Formats: sequence, structure tokens, C-alpha cells
Amino acid sequence: MKKIYRRPHQIRAFFVMMKYFFLAQTRNPATFAFGFLFPVVFISIFGLIGNSTAPLTIGFPATSNLNNPIITAIKQQSIVKTQVAPETQLEKDMKKGNLSGIISVKQTSQNPPRYQVNVITSTASPQTAADITSLVNLIVDQENLRAAGVTDPTITIKKQQLAGRQIRYIDFALPGQMGFALLSTAIFGTVFGLIYLKKALVLKRMFATPTRAITILLAQGGSRLIMAVLQVLLILILGIVAFKFYLPHGWITFVELLILSIIALVAFLGFGYFMAGLVNDENAAGPMVNLITLPQFLLSGTFFPITDLPNWLQPIANFLPLSFFNAAVRKITTEGGDFTQTIPLMIGLIIWGAVMYILAAKTFKWE
Amino acid sequence: MTDIISVKNLIKQYGNFSAVNDISFSVKEGEIFGILGPNGAGKTTTLEIMETLKPLTSGEVLIDNIDVTKHPWDVKRRIGVQLQSTAFYPEVKLTELLDMFAAMYDVTIDPMEMLREVELEDKAKSYVKQLSGGQQQRFSIASTLINQPKVIFLDEPTTGLDPQARIHLWEMVRKINKAGVTIVMTTHYMDEAEQLCDRLAIMDHGKILKIGTPKAFIQDLLKTGFKKEIKQEQANLEDVFLNLTGRQLREG
Repeated sequence: MKKIYRRPHQIRAFFVMMKYFFLAQTRNPATFAFGFLFPVVFISIFGLIGNSTAPLTIGFPATSNLNNPIITAIKQQSIVKTQVAPETQLEKDMKKGNLSGIISVKQTSQNPPRYQVNVITSTASPQTAADITSLVNLIVDQENLRAAGVTDPTITIKKQQLAGRQIRYIDFALPGQMGFALLSTAIFGTVFGLIYLKKALVLKRMFATPTRAITILLAQGGSRLIMAVLQVLLILILGIVAFKFYLPHGWITFVELLILSIIALVAFLGFGYFMAGLVNDENAAGPMVNLITLPQFLLSGTFFPITDLPNWLQPIANFLPLSFFNAAVRKITTEGGDFTQTIPLMIGLIIWGAVMYILAAKTFKWE
Repeated sequence: MTDIISVKNLIKQYGNFSAVNDISFSVKEGEIFGILGPNGAGKTTTLEIMETLKPLTSGEVLIDNIDVTKHPWDVKRRIGVQLQSTAFYPEVKLTELLDMFAAMYDVTIDPMEMLREVELEDKAKSYVKQLSGGQQQRFSIASTLINQPKVIFLDEPTTGLDPQARIHLWEMVRKINKAGVTIVMTTHYMDEAEQLCDRLAIMDHGKILKIGTPKAFIQDLLKTGFKKEIKQEQANLEDVFLNLTGRQLREG
């Protein structure tokens, strides 16, 4: 019997494979599109949504009296955008939904001055109609008190504002985009990538070398991890630089976000391996991948909060793996919470991942 | 000459179906051994068991006196493998693939030197999918030599190649064999088996029907009184084709 070698070395193989698997990803147009282009486009759109202000647009008919205290007071409101145009034009705009309301003021007597305010709102948006009506009520009441010489009204409202931070849509959307990128990279890349490698006998050729199957899978996962960290960095830096995404504790929060992302990617990779092991054909994988990812993109608070969902659906949505990640990220960003508060959420995610790795190990078919 | 491969009573079953049904043969060090047979004869299964890629149901396979079932990692170190389809990672360049395989075999190589051996040095920065069929097979053969194996296994290496590329590949196989590497290959082509292989095993339905040298096969057949209708042809169509188009390799 010949001298038997020791177990093959795996460390060098692991790092060299990881390097080339990563290079291969960077040369793949799909990685670029899904991993970098889509998040950048989404973030930019959400960033711009967050910046839009002046939710109320009010039109004044050109022929009406514009020099009176009511109109002047309305114009001074910061939340109102005003425009002056012929009445027919304003009505057209309101039917199209471009205008929240039309206000005209008629002076009914000169001395003492008396005015009648006409407010036209659309039945299409009762919320804006109510906003405008209450705004006009407020201004009219103030003017009436002033005209009556009341400086000390019986009832006053003391308004107090907490020094809260204004939460913009980008602050909500950016964590969702991180989750979106991580789940896409982990699942789409792994499932379709591994199925191709199986079908084209690439894996089989590798199994003919002294490198272990697990080393090959780990190198695959490692290369996706590097790619995902780059994606998260891009999303975060773009969010911070271009749209002032809020990090409550600066770079500490930044590092915490990276740690959460790495844990999430490793858990999501479990889903990828499980599905890639189960099926051997891209056509069969397509519906399966969508079945796993689409509900999560829609229900996990990626684009809108879980609290907007019907009550019966919320408990289910809260237990989706992506929900745990999204909630953990928002805990330390928008909610300004402590890193330790994310631990229960991350445990939920880790349990999901562990279940998937166990299932993958039990069901994985190499060919 | 010593046996570098010894296969004894090898059986591979899938349920009730015997893909390989109790075959025994040995391959001598330094020879080119061909396995001939129609599709589904069990050639690839036999090859993949020798390559440690498939477990056997029963029997024994020794490569360089090492049991493939007991010590697969030591067998993997000593063999080179070419699969039926050219199986390489996409979006990785030729030199990079060789570098990666060197790491997987835990050896040090000069990728450019390996490419020169198979006349692909000008394709160093290409991807496998950009190569012609013949170039892909040559690259595939280069990848089998990375770990300086004692035996290489080639599964239908010339299927789908044009006549020039086939002849070129034969020359390459002979060159590797002259350097001391034992070669086990499967093929559908009788002329390839006759010209290239020192010994042949003819397989069908998971059984080996006959083992021997191509010459001996023909002699045995003639001894039975077999006579082929003799046509006085000094050349065949392949000769015409090669005469018209030349023997040089055509590749982009």
C-alpha cells in the first residue's frame, strides 16, 4: 500500500476560489443591475419623495379680490403653495387633482369691512378638503377676533412641540432597500448560480479535485458576502451623502448596520442553498424563488410599514426573515434605539437561517 | 508493466437497473486505454466511479494501488479528469481558471506555460465560452494536467470536433502519453480507437464484451472467417476532405 496523504488543505483553495468567484460576479451584468443599479435608482426615487413639501396647493381666481387680510394670511402659511389663475383653469386643475382647493374672498361691505370666504374643495380627496377647511376656519376665527377687538379670548390653545426629528420617507425606505439588496443577492445569485454550476458540470469538475464540496460552497457564500457588504456600503453612503440618511450615533451606527447586514446575508444564504439544492432546473427554480422573495419584499416592511397591513396579516408578516432584519435596522436608525435592542430580532433571523441550513444539508442534491 | 488501474467485479446499480454489471479489467502504466460502446453502455458511469465522482455499489477499484472508496482524496490527487461537457466556471479567464485549479489541487503552476503546452497562450485572457470546440477540449485537457497526474480520464474528448481539430487533439493526447501519463478515454469513433488506443474494452449494457488490442480484435474476427466486401479503394472521403482542406488546425 502506498503512503496515504493527510487530509487535503482547504484554506488556500477557499481564498483563491473566493477571489475568482467574486471576480466572476463583478463581470456579470445581472449582479451590476440587481445589486447596484436597482438600489441606487430606488434610493434616489425615495430620497426625492422625502424631499417634497407643500402638500396643499390653493388656487385664487384671477378676477377675485386678492388684497384682503384672509388671502394675506393664507399666503403666509408655510405648508401652502398658492397660485393665481382664471377660475375655469383652476377648476380644470382641481378635477385633474393638481389643486387641493380654490378660495375666493368677496368684500360685502366697506365700512366696517365685511368679507365672505368661498371655499371650493374636491370630493375626490376628503383629507385635503378637511385640511383646507380647518385652515380657513382657523384664519377666519383669528381675523374675526381681531376685528372684534378681542385680545384675550376665553379659550386659548397652548401648542407645544416636542423637539422630535422629522422622519422622512428615505429614513424608512433605506433600511428596506438594504434588506432588498441582501435578500436578492443571497437568493437569486445563489439559486440560479448554483443550478447553472450543477447543470454545466462545473461543480462535478471541481469535485474531481481534492477540494471538499463544503469548501466550494463556503467560497461561494464568502464571495457573495463580500459583494453584499459592498452593496450595503453603497446604499448607506449614497443615503448619507446624497439624502442625509440619519445615523443616530454616527459611525457606530454605521458599523452596527454592517454587522446586522452580514448576519442577515448569512441567514438568507441558507434559503439560497436550500432552494438550489432542492431543484436542478432554472425553470423549476423561478417560481420557487419568487414564492420565497416576493411576499417578503411586499410584506416585510420593505416599501411600506407592516402596521399598514390588515390586522390579521401583521403577526405573520412580523415573523418573515426579512421583517426581522428590517425591524432591527430601523430599531437602531429611525427609532434611535440601542444595539442590544436588536438582539431578539436577530435571534429570530438566526433561527430562520439555522432551519434553512439544516434543511439544505438534508436535501442538497449535487447533480 | 505494472497495472496502474485495477477494476474487479465492479457493479453500479440504480434501483433495479445495473448501469455497470460486474466488470473487471486493468490498465497498464503508460498505455492509452479506450472504452468503446454505444450510448448508455455504462462507459461514463465506469469512468466516474474511477474518478471518485460516483460511489460504487460493489466491487473494488484501485488507482495506483489506492482504493477509490477508502481513500478518495489520495486518488483525486493522482488523477486528472475531463468531463463530457467542458465544465468551467463562467466569467473567469483561462489563466485565472488554471490558477484556481492549482489552488484546488494545492500545487504551484505557471498558467501561461500550461496554456503554451496546449497552444492556447494567445487565449490567456479569454473566457471558455469564447473558445472554439477544439480549443475548449484542449483547455480542458490542460486542466487535467495541473496536478501532474499519473492517469488522466478523457470522456469522449473529440465528440463534436471537425476532422482537423480531432487530429490535432490526437497528437496532443499522444504527446501527453509519451511524457509518461496513462490515459483512459471513452469514444464513439472506431477510427479514433484504432489509431490512438493501445488496448480497448468494448462495453454494452453494463458489461465488457471484449478486451484487447485493436489489431488482435481484427485478427480474431478474421479468424472466424469474417470477410468484408473488399472494395479497391486507396482512399476514403475523410482523406479527400483533409486533402482538400489541409490538416492544419482552423481556429479563430
